[in-house]
Amino acid sequence: MTAPSLSPSGLSTGSRLATLAASPLALALMAIIVLLGLGEMLSPGFARGDQIIRLLTVAALLGIAAAGQNLVILAGGEGIDLSIGAQISFGAIIAGNVMNGSDAAIAHAILAACGATFLVGLVNGLGVTLVRLPPLVMTLGMMAIIQGGLVVFSQGIPSGNAAPALMGFINQPALLGLPGILLAWAVLIVLMGLLLRRTALGFAIYAVGANARAARLVGLPVRAVRTLVYGLSGALAGLTGVFVIGYTGNSFISVGDQYMLPTIIAVVIGGTSLAGGTGGYVGTVAGAIALVLLQSVLTTLHLDFWGRQLIFGGTLLLLLALYGRQTGPRV
Amino acid sequence: MTGTPETPALPMPAPTPLGPAIEARDIVKRFGAVQALGNGRLTVGRGEIHALLGANGCGKSTLSKIIAGTHAATAGSLLIEGRPVRFATPREAEAAGIALFYQELSLIPPLSVAANIFLGREPRTRAGFIDRTRLRAETEALIALFGDTAGPGLTPDALVADLTPGQRQIVEILKVLSKSPRIVIMDEATAALDARQVAVFFDILRARRAAGVSTVFISHRLDEVFALCDRVTVMRNGETVADLCIADTDQDSVVRLMIGDVRKAGRRTRADRPAAAPLLQADRVGGGRLRDITLAVAPGEILGLGGLQGQGQSALLRGLFGADPLTAGRLRLDGQPVRIRAPADAVARGIAYVSGDRVADAVLAGRSIFENLAAAVLVRERRWRVGAGTLAPRLAGVAASLKTKYAGLDDAIGTLSGGNQQKVFIARWLATGPRLLLLDDPTKGIDLGAKADLFALIRQLADSGVAIILYSSEEAELLDQSDRILVFNGGAVVTELSGPTLDSFHLTRAAYGDAA
Repeated sequence: MTAPSLSPSGLSTGSRLATLAASPLALALMAIIVLLGLGEMLSPGFARGDQIIRLLTVAALLGIAAAGQNLVILAGGEGIDLSIGAQISFGAIIAGNVMNGSDAAIAHAILAACGATFLVGLVNGLGVTLVRLPPLVMTLGMMAIIQGGLVVFSQGIPSGNAAPALMGFINQPALLGLPGILLAWAVLIVLMGLLLRRTALGFAIYAVGANARAARLVGLPVRAVRTLVYGLSGALAGLTGVFVIGYTGNSFISVGDQYMLPTIIAVVIGGTSLAGGTGGYVGTVAGAIALVLLQSVLTTLHLDFWGRQLIFGGTLLLLLALYGRQTGPRV
Repeated sequence: MTGTPETPALPMPAPTPLGPAIEARDIVKRFGAVQALGNGRLTVGRGEIHALLGANGCGKSTLSKIIAGTHAATAGSLLIEGRPVRFATPREAEAAGIALFYQELSLIPPLSVAANIFLGREPRTRAGFIDRTRLRAETEALIALFGDTAGPGLTPDALVADLTPGQRQIVEILKVLSKSPRIVIMDEATAALDARQVAVFFDILRARRAAGVSTVFISHRLDEVFALCDRVTVMRNGETVADLCIADTDQDSVVRLMIGDVRKAGRRTRADRPAAAPLLQADRVGGGRLRDITLAVAPGEILGLGGLQGQGQSALLRGLFGADPLTAGRLRLDGQPVRIRAPADAVARGIAYVSGDRVADAVLAGRSIFENLAAAVLVRERRWRVGAGTLAPRLAGVAASLKTKYAGLDDAIGTLSGGNQQKVFIARWLATGPRLLLLDDPTKGIDLGAKADLFALIRQLADSGVAIILYSSEEAELLDQSDRILVFNGGAVVTELSGPTLDSFHLTRAAYGDAA
């Protein structure tokens, strides 16, 4: 007998469509290759090394935020975090104000941004578990509260800007030609893998998502687990906010809004079931990269934000319809 | 649209002076390959209250549903008031003057009492609108039948959702009576009624009998049958085995007819019975529908919970485990008072609970066999790391002790058969080394081989000093495994069987309400 592995076990259900959908990770990797080829065809130089690093940097921002979305969705109970975009803005503005261009204050900025968004996430979690509000409604309401609050308190013009060292961490090569944010993302990927595959908390997240009633009957603290994943989602959104202000230099009120829908799509592309209990972060990473590539190809085609939005929404629905066709359980 | 005898929807056969109210001959009913009824016979005279008795699954509900037009018979003949009939729908039976009280209540909770009683048969005004004045008055008159026993709140305009279970049952009874049937089938109509309501209900049935109405009365309470009925038909395994006059028989004879040959084989035998101090003691615990249950179970003992299905056995096990916490009474573990408010409290004290409802209560769907096995151990041992390297061989060993068949621990739980899945869920708990094992109908829907493996293991566990409380919906299993049996009825323990009384006869008699 061996320990549980990362490999999905082959439960193919006959039809080619289902077999394809049964391995979303393979599908996402295929999409990455096809999109790279397509981009290179449309605009030679698209797949050049420095271009790819630039794309991966953008993918890292999405991927870090999507890690939180991933945990929330895995824990089931129709879990979803629609406040991620607003929390990224929140984190970015807190970090900008704490740093205010000073390298010495970076650690404080990260702590303050992640701490505040962690607490906001816990409020989301308590609203879902204790007050029993549907996650969709709770996090949508939280999104509006944060967006409104940011406008009210900053009077529309957020102050503060990124420290130079943080901007360098995001935009300059640090090790082996890779910028620091990619190394940070790599560390997160390893940490997520350890959490989900090696710790009792990770097992509990899957168990709660797969069957909350059964999880409770083995003594698992179902509400605490679900509350915690919203907290973690908040903290990861806050961290993303810190990186976003490092990427752009300064922030604006709605800097994070564009991330909300893509985090969900990245998680779904990666094969995590919206019903909870199945999936993992490796797929989400591939999903985030594929999505950023798609966005980039669409930009090459001179599609504006709303055109890309249209494609994104369509992609999400198409994938859900495709994955929904399979009948057997996915591991 | 109306189905009352005054204005029949279908041509109604004129009552003839010849022939009994109901004559069912050689009725056969198959559901696919399953034969629910092999030889159903029932003859009910006019103006007679006739009991239909039998153990769970003997076919009495199937037979009554055929008479009421809910099911169509596969073979056999049915005569109502001397005329051969073949009802295609309940409406046709209703038009012939037959009304069935549904064991599964057919009420619509968000509607009013009056709306429920006259659903689809509401009195109309000339203009064709519902005549609310008459609707309310007729409902008032029906409720008045139960007088002050109906309790507060049972009014024509009350919503069914706001009523007590007993009041809902009264509304269902009134719905049947409002159709003014000449033949009425009351299937477990007294289950939720209190003693005073039952007495009034019986007076109503007797009054209808005097008016020539025939009643088929199905009940799990033998004393009711003997107080009310004129004749009794007993069924067993889909066949009618006796048709007797109540005056010529007694409760013990009827119980013997219901169970047939008493089986003895396969009984658990214990060479020595250690007089150990009790592990768990419950003192007058209650909550939900459980009332004043007192019990004690010692290490090495298998305590059975018996009685008809749904009398509180599962509720007690779930209560002891904290899944549906008990609200009254005291629990002691090793003589020390304990409070168990959630499953986590029970797990921390070495209590394990195996449910027969695998899909709802146990399966971590889409997860691996390893994860399904490890779930309880991780909680019990308060692990932070999973430590699969050492845990996997250990769990594989426990699964093997139950003869669980699987290809690899990484395979999805869904790849296993129901019996093997249930073994995984038992192994999940065995790995925690429980001191008290609560088994809630653990063999429901699993094959014979798996059952034998499970019970062999359960005995082994008991012999190694684990205390076990077992509920099984299969009487034979319960009798074979238990050292003692507490018999449940209506949320309370009515009697305890042990030694010479631990047999099918005493169990059936106690379950059917005769506290011997």
